[in-house]
Amino acid sequence: MTRPRRDPRAERASIQVAGEARPRFDRTARRTGSGRPRRDPRTERAGQRVAAEARPRYDLSQTVRFDAPVATDAQPKTAAAPPPKILIVEAPAFLVAVVPDAPGGRLSSHDRQVLGAARALAGREGGVAILTLGACEGVGPAGADRWLPLDVVEGYDPATQAARVAAALTALAPRYVLFPESLDGGDLARRVAVRMGEPVFTNAEVVAANGLVRPARGRRVEQRIAPGLLATVAPDAVAEYGGPPREARPLPVEAEAPTPSLKRIVSATRVPADPATVPLALAEFVASVGNGITDLDTFRQVVAALRATPGASRVLCDAGLMPRHTQVGASGTVLAATCYFALGISGAPQHLQGVAGCEHVVAVNTDLHAAMIERAGLAIVQDAQVVMPALLRLLADEAGESV
Amino acid sequence: MKIVVLLSAGRHPVSGAPVLPRMEAQAIRIAASLGEVLGLHAGPDADAVREALGLGLTRIEHIAVAKGLDPVPALAARLAALAPDLVLAGRRGQGGAESGVVPYALAEALDLLLIPDVVAVSGGGDTLTLDQSLGRGALRRVAVRGPVLATVHPDAAAPLAYAYGKARRGTIERVGAAATAADGPEAAVEERPYRRRPKLVKGAPTGGSAAERLKAATGEGGSATKGRLLVEPDPEEAAREILAYLRQIGVIADASKPKQ
Repeated sequence: MTRPRRDPRAERASIQVAGEARPRFDRTARRTGSGRPRRDPRTERAGQRVAAEARPRYDLSQTVRFDAPVATDAQPKTAAAPPPKILIVEAPAFLVAVVPDAPGGRLSSHDRQVLGAARALAGREGGVAILTLGACEGVGPAGADRWLPLDVVEGYDPATQAARVAAALTALAPRYVLFPESLDGGDLARRVAVRMGEPVFTNAEVVAANGLVRPARGRRVEQRIAPGLLATVAPDAVAEYGGPPREARPLPVEAEAPTPSLKRIVSATRVPADPATVPLALAEFVASVGNGITDLDTFRQVVAALRATPGASRVLCDAGLMPRHTQVGASGTVLAATCYFALGISGAPQHLQGVAGCEHVVAVNTDLHAAMIERAGLAIVQDAQVVMPALLRLLADEAGESV
Repeated sequence: MKIVVLLSAGRHPVSGAPVLPRMEAQAIRIAASLGEVLGLHAGPDADAVREALGLGLTRIEHIAVAKGLDPVPALAARLAALAPDLVLAGRRGQGGAESGVVPYALAEALDLLLIPDVVAVSGGGDTLTLDQSLGRGALRRVAVRGPVLATVHPDAAAPLAYAYGKARRGTIERVGAAATAADGPEAAVEERPYRRRPKLVKGAPTGGSAAERLKAATGEGGSATKGRLLVEPDPEEAAREILAYLRQIGVIADASKPKQ
């Protein structure tokens, strides 16, 4: 059997789009009469995809004809996902209380982890009650079934605060109470413990109904104990609550107001950290300079104007252009900053390790394909040398306006 | 001003050798600049705290308390007799349970004001000013009246250098202890060799692939997925965008608000 010989020129001429000066070819047009059509594995695969799931799933039993039109999911994904149902525990068998730090009326990630630990202790029958000083947002999605907003203590008076929490806990009578092992949370936990005369199991790294585990003797041994009334939970040890949002029903608890203690604290003022002298590992906002920048004087002015802590990449530190203690990365400092502002840094893997803990990254670099541009929340492909003076001008204009 | 520094028998976290915990050495440095300092230790053996004599103390009082007994009643009785203006302690012990409850129990027993996590103390006479660490280099400056118990944070100034001659000249006095009854039976604690637990990866989806966990660990899964990309913008526009972004996440102050 002989096949007719193909004529590529004629085929090409047949798909040429007419009426244009520049030749254009419509390659999507099905060739006619040249045997069986070509398979398109990608289209077939796309046709097997199960719609309305974020993670791709494929139904391999379904064979889609290659020339059949691919079924596209018409409904948008937001419409497909119904709003999550709020879980309600009507009559919990027991309560697990959580006293979060909640700085500024917002749960920190450590607080969420403590709520996750409390959820694990409560299981299916129990309920999680959260005791916050003042208002707090987002306690239901974080896993709280009940919510006791206590009155705020004016000024810095940890003893009165502990007395208030202890009184509320006595009235609530939970089975377990969990605190975060942070500066404030650990302090409050110990004050409440000595006030209630109960032992406190500090710095628990494992929280489960069958036992709490903490490191002891310089992390040589670990101590396991059946959960008692009070415990504090170590940071980054327990996962946050990941289930559907909970009810966070306000729970009125009548606790008698503790008698105010003697006024022994005369005053308390907050002294914010000086960004110029704070160690890089503790800094909140780091502006960092890399090999893409030669004008370091302007960089220093930008750092001062933004009130950031200066950092640098390894190249500049090796060259002696920036001090060694400013080096960011695996062989320098691993940051715990909220925001990282990278100027002229392409983002070597060792550098990105130092930035891994930063929540927000702003990058200015000339290379569109740099790893730092990919990592950044706001990426600007532009020469950092011209962006820095523009930043300084803008900041100076704003300062001039506000005066 | 009369200052007492509470000393504990620490163990080095790596070698297990007896060592004075660093925070107590820092407490000695804070106290040495303020006035007359006395070290106070309750425990079976005074040799454990002899190192403190070389780090700035001249005199240590040792209350013999049998091993395993609660030192708080003995310490509270001695502190009540001494009536110091300032008591300094480390925020945690080192080498024991490391729970850090002893200062709180003492403050409760003596009805003292307790200020935790102090990095510096200044003043004298009637009021004392204590700088309290809030983490990330921020401080709270607290002015207090009357006797106060403060625990020392590791961010305090580094301890004084060890001096062998001073360590030889210093004295350790043994003071009589009131007989303390043993506590009730402790809760059953099971001890095992420490096992490191896997580090929690923030933002990693449960049941996700290894590549997704790696992305979460290097931070590429977080803000990068919804990041904004501006290619070759005008420098002025880039500057405006950067400032707007920084203000939105709250790391720099708003332009409309006047500066203090």
